[in-house]
Amino acid sequence: MAGILKPPGAFTVTPHKVSICILIQVYAPPTQISVPFPFSSVSHHNRLGLFLFALSKSCDDIFEPKLDELIGQLKELGDFLNDWLIDHLTRRLSSLASPDDLFNFFNDLRGILGGSESHVMDDDQIMLDPSSNLGLFVRRCLLSFNLLPFEGVCHLLTNVGAYCKESFSSCPYELSHIEDCANEAESSMEYENMELEGLVFDKVSKEFEAQKRANDSFVFHNHAPKMLIGFIEESDISSGSKVKEFDRLRAGSSCIPSSSYSQRIIDPQVGSFLRTNWQIQGNLLDQADAIERHGSSFSLNAFESILKQLQKLAPELHRVHFLRYLNSLHHDDYPVALENLHRYFDYSAGTEGIDFGLPSSGCNSFGRYEVALLCLGMMHFHFGHPKQALEVLTEAVRVSQQHSDDACLAYTLAAICNLLSEVGISRMTGIIGSACSSVVTMRTSLSIQQQLFVLLRRSLKRAEGLKLKRLVASNHIAMAKFELTHVQRPLSYFGPKGPMKLRTCPINVCKELRSSSRLIHEFCDESSIMNTDGLLCTMWLKNLKKPIGSVIFSQENESRRNLDTFQFCAQPNSLPGSVVQLLGTSALVRATAWEIYGSASLARINTLVFAACFADSSSSADAALAYAKLIQHLAVFKGHKEAFAALKIAEEKFLCVSKSRVHLVKLQLLHERALHRGDLKFAQRICNEFGALASSVSGVDMELKTEASLRHARTLLAANQFNQAAAVTNSLFCMCYKYNMQVENATVLLLLAEIHKRSGNAALGIPYALASLSFCQSFNLDLLKASATLTLADLWLSLGSNHAKRALALLHSAFPMILGHGGLELSARAYITETKCYLADPSFSVSEDPEAVLEPLKRASEALELLEYHELAGEAFYLLAIVYDKLGYLEEREKAAALFKVHIMALENPEEKEDSLSTML
Amino acid sequence: MASKATCRQELRTAIRQLSDRCLYSASRWAAEQLVGIEQDPAKYTPSHTRFQRGSSSIRRRFRTDGAGDAAAAFNSTPVAGVSFISTPPASEEENDAVESDFYLLAKSYFDCREYRRAAHVLREQTSKKAVFLGCYALYLAGEKRKEEETMELEGPLGKSDAVNKELISLERELSGLRKCGTIDSFCLFLYGLVLKEKGNEGLARVVLVESVNNYPWNWSAWSELQSLCTTVEILNGLHLVNHWMKDFFLANAYQELRLHNESLAKYEYIQGTFSFSNYVQAQIAKAQYSLREFEQVEVIFEELLRNDPHRVEDMDMYSNVLYAKECFSALSYLAHRVFLTDKYRPESCCIIGNYYSLKGQHEKSVMYFRRALKLNKNYLSAWTLMGHEYVEMKNTPAAVDAYRRAVDINPCDYRAWYGLGQTYEMMGMPFYALHYFKKSVFLQPNDSRLWIAMAQCYKSEELHMPEEAIKCFKRAVNCNDREAIALHQLAKLHRELDRFEEAAFYYKKDLERMEAEEREGPNMVEALSFLARYCKDQKRFEEAEVYCTRLLDYTGPEKEEAKSLLRGIRSAKDVELFPP
Repeated sequence: MAGILKPPGAFTVTPHKVSICILIQVYAPPTQISVPFPFSSVSHHNRLGLFLFALSKSCDDIFEPKLDELIGQLKELGDFLNDWLIDHLTRRLSSLASPDDLFNFFNDLRGILGGSESHVMDDDQIMLDPSSNLGLFVRRCLLSFNLLPFEGVCHLLTNVGAYCKESFSSCPYELSHIEDCANEAESSMEYENMELEGLVFDKVSKEFEAQKRANDSFVFHNHAPKMLIGFIEESDISSGSKVKEFDRLRAGSSCIPSSSYSQRIIDPQVGSFLRTNWQIQGNLLDQADAIERHGSSFSLNAFESILKQLQKLAPELHRVHFLRYLNSLHHDDYPVALENLHRYFDYSAGTEGIDFGLPSSGCNSFGRYEVALLCLGMMHFHFGHPKQALEVLTEAVRVSQQHSDDACLAYTLAAICNLLSEVGISRMTGIIGSACSSVVTMRTSLSIQQQLFVLLRRSLKRAEGLKLKRLVASNHIAMAKFELTHVQRPLSYFGPKGPMKLRTCPINVCKELRSSSRLIHEFCDESSIMNTDGLLCTMWLKNLKKPIGSVIFSQENESRRNLDTFQFCAQPNSLPGSVVQLLGTSALVRATAWEIYGSASLARINTLVFAACFADSSSSADAALAYAKLIQHLAVFKGHKEAFAALKIAEEKFLCVSKSRVHLVKLQLLHERALHRGDLKFAQRICNEFGALASSVSGVDMELKTEASLRHARTLLAANQFNQAAAVTNSLFCMCYKYNMQVENATVLLLLAEIHKRSGNAALGIPYALASLSFCQSFNLDLLKASATLTLADLWLSLGSNHAKRALALLHSAFPMILGHGGLELSARAYITETKCYLADPSFSVSEDPEAVLEPLKRASEALELLEYHELAGEAFYLLAIVYDKLGYLEEREKAAALFKVHIMALENPEEKEDSLSTML
Repeated sequence: MASKATCRQELRTAIRQLSDRCLYSASRWAAEQLVGIEQDPAKYTPSHTRFQRGSSSIRRRFRTDGAGDAAAAFNSTPVAGVSFISTPPASEEENDAVESDFYLLAKSYFDCREYRRAAHVLREQTSKKAVFLGCYALYLAGEKRKEEETMELEGPLGKSDAVNKELISLERELSGLRKCGTIDSFCLFLYGLVLKEKGNEGLARVVLVESVNNYPWNWSAWSELQSLCTTVEILNGLHLVNHWMKDFFLANAYQELRLHNESLAKYEYIQGTFSFSNYVQAQIAKAQYSLREFEQVEVIFEELLRNDPHRVEDMDMYSNVLYAKECFSALSYLAHRVFLTDKYRPESCCIIGNYYSLKGQHEKSVMYFRRALKLNKNYLSAWTLMGHEYVEMKNTPAAVDAYRRAVDINPCDYRAWYGLGQTYEMMGMPFYALHYFKKSVFLQPNDSRLWIAMAQCYKSEELHMPEEAIKCFKRAVNCNDREAIALHQLAKLHRELDRFEEAAFYYKKDLERMEAEEREGPNMVEALSFLARYCKDQKRFEEAEVYCTRLLDYTGPEKEEAKSLLRGIRSAKDVELFPP
């Protein structure tokens, strides 16, 4: 509460901090002796310093480590000196027997701090700079000890006692051995490059300092951008990071094994101490990141129990509620998420920053409840309530305008854009009430797409003005996505006379993507790296386990090293995770763009780039998308067998829950395969499955709905139910038109042409094919255009043999595209059509140029056998048999005829064959 | 219910036993009820009865009931279930003198609040009484230490995980006793208490039920049991032996479960026997307060104060009533009185806070609420009231925080939810506020104010969802909307939506209501002028004329409008009569 709230960020002395102080005393002994006594070499000395530094910063857990854990880490520091250290530490700790010992200890501690003024220092005297990180740490300890009342000192004493007792009972150690080592260490001391080490340390700390300074200038409430970015990317792909995450989770929970859990809660004697506020916040941020990245594969309950404990121990740390909200949000628990969201913002008023509060410019006395609205809006969006989401976001816009919170406004606009682009909305009126008109301030005559475009522009401009680098980048990506699928109409379009330019603009997409990737050079201006040094320290501590120096170890050690190398690659470089994530998304969008424009190889390359460079730090949704793309690519170019093998790998990697990308790909593959094999019942079942995945709310899950009815129509077509297929396709066309999905319409028109072709109405089919062709042309859908041309050629051909020449010409114009980028099916179809053209052409004689027909037919039949596409394969073999017959190759003719028979039989009895895959559903 | 004589007899024994075991609050409660039983007028002189209530309004109200019940008692036909346990079992056989000497010493220590010493004295004693007192003393020592530690340990993040360190050993000892069957009902009560504190609520309930079934006169056990009954299902699932104490328990539990009418009925039934019990009176007042019958509450409290002028318990509720009725002097008088009685009671601070709030001195008021909260961190109504004060002071974040704390202490506090909603509405976030209004309406669906607040949100120009607003206003009308806002708003909304028929219907209803309550005002003029015009448009000239003539009684532009309307009506009538 504003009135009763205690100042945050206070620092309490705990037994763990006392141990660190003891170690710091060892690191920088107060004596005049210029030689730090127990160290054998400079690097040892350095390593201890780094270790202590990392200990005071790391944020891998909410609890401070116990003594035995600390001792374990000390052991892993990895040299014989550590036994001496451990012995010293435990001896010092157990020598603290009365309050007076504590007073004396802290008095001595003061001695290791150098004077604050530049009073002349001996070169060989080690003094702890009071403004260095460790110096600050010591000073904070001293201060908070001095502030303790006598009761507090008594508590500290009992706590230290318990801290020691606990570990002594659990981990005995041999003193005698340690003594030996100490002697050895003494004899082999080196002290040449003392200054150098100081230098190194200074450099490191300066680096951190700089980062910290950068943090201070960060104005915006930290979770919002994270959330936003999470959402923006959600719709789009990685791999290794998951393993790592589980490791981390396990590490987190192993600190609180369930058996001792209750004990800890109940018995404060064995109580665990929270880390400093700063470290906890860092840990929570880290976890929030992980939740957003891994979505539902993040373990709900393990984290929930940690949060519960944290809440019990620190009831004034409201961020816990936010984490809880995130956790339940990503596990689709609506009531809990809603409740915790409201609770968090009620307590924090949106102003709870990272530790020392936000700079005063960011928050006024009214609180920043607009952030609450923004989050609530995104929550509704996540749960598929577009109407509420829009309502809330409109309110957020209004409130942030009222409180002139520009940053929040920028994010809210971006969120609205995201919402509008994701959710199909046919008309603005009635959905955005009168209130939004003040926001959008546009004439209502503008279409949704135009409004979205204007909003995107505004949001981008605002973000650029506010120097919110990551928002700019994600806006660019959103823009690219928009440009990709939406037809651009000039905004100054009045009446029918205006220029009717209806096309997409690939150059713009490219431009947007390029400017989004510029983020990698610029991110450091915007500081989002509040916990980077914390994370870095955590990583450093974790990597202690890695053997350093000598690598000559057993086989077992070798395998472990391999794991560690992987971890080493995933070590945080200076790039914050969110930046890398954004870059990954932009690579994926690029892949999607190439996919749409019809360059299969470029799409594949971009996906591979994503998988290679960004997979570690991207969200699991993004990673799954990348996998999906690669699997689809395999299915199209290598046939079903390889695709299913790849799918199996992906399924092991990702949680295959409904609506996940991997699940979708599985359904797609199964459907394609069923269609090819002629197993229509199974295909229909999968269609129904598709339909059931989409939300029943209109305007939501448009992509899924489109795909479901497209597949439905194709299944009907395969079953020769032309009327029904045409009806389904027509209604799909209407829906796409209503929601302005022109790009999808190109496909729909092509399907209509196909239906007419198959039903024997070639004359009726041609206009559809031509329409599709022109759509493809203006939207730059090159591959689709090639396949439309193919259909057109087919249609001409079926009008009669006198059109064979024209059909062949059309086909040949499309051949480069088809052979360059088309998959197996498309090229097979093209070959067959080509052969048919030749055969239908009266001026062509087989015997003169047999290779012109034999070669394509052979290729087609190979491809079709790979795909198990019985119908077309039958056709190919039939043609082949005829050609052979004409040429008089009887043996080959019989072979082809037999294969024809095999395929036709398989088509007629699709269920007879063993089918292990139909059980996959 | 058992006869008055047996109740009296049972209570007398129980009080002795309870205070011998240092269960003081339970024995206080029992003593209050003992005196609350109507004395037999034949046996007692008027000087005795004078202690009891004289000829008060309350008395008159219940006299008939009391007489009826007395007759029932004489006929020995118990109304409710027959008690299975007639009298408290006689105290244990006196142990040898030495043991009882130790017990006496321990009890004296205990009375001087030297709990550890008391426990130490009793450490080797084996009588059930001594075991109980030893454990109880240990428990209290732990509690005392816990409270001190909470103050000492307060960390930067409000860490207050101080726990009673004796719980573990107590649990071990008591569960051992229970297993070997040598546990008495007092130790069972303590065991239940320990279990509850350790979070083992299921077992705690079982143990407490066992305790109250064996020894029903320990009110502390009943109230612990009540606090564990958070849902009606749990309450109904308890296997309780019939006893008249069960009625007290049920009445209290119903009240906490917001079954106010059931609770009121139960208390009124109890009052048949305990017609002079202050406790029952106060509880009835509480139920009435929840039913928003402020007049009755005030009468009851006046009566209570006359009989028990130094009472502080429940007086905060009285002060709320006085606040709502804006009785400045009565509230100040009450505040003064409790201040003199015990100024460091949370209730007293709350009353003073209420007084300052009524005077419009919100800073001071907040100070006193804060003091109340310092004395009891979980004092629900103080959080809510403080939220109200912050709202008055326009300190919205603080208000939100205070309300939210109240809600987190008790998620069923509809006032705090309502307060949250109101605060957010004030900040111009009506859609966000709706969430809170929905919560409060869910908890108190029969409160028209909540429905109206929700409707206002929907109606606000930011949201502008008139259909939803109409639905809410309709609910408000059905909930006996006292301020009659809803009818007028409904009429207005319908008119804005061009649904004149509905608008006319609601204007008419509103008009009728205003006539019945003899209220005048702009709403009346608005209703009349709309109805006049509407009737004219509908060609119901007679009616229109009536409204117009009524409008003529008012001054202002409406009068002129009425005149012109009348003229129009006449000409229209002429046209109708003599078509051109």
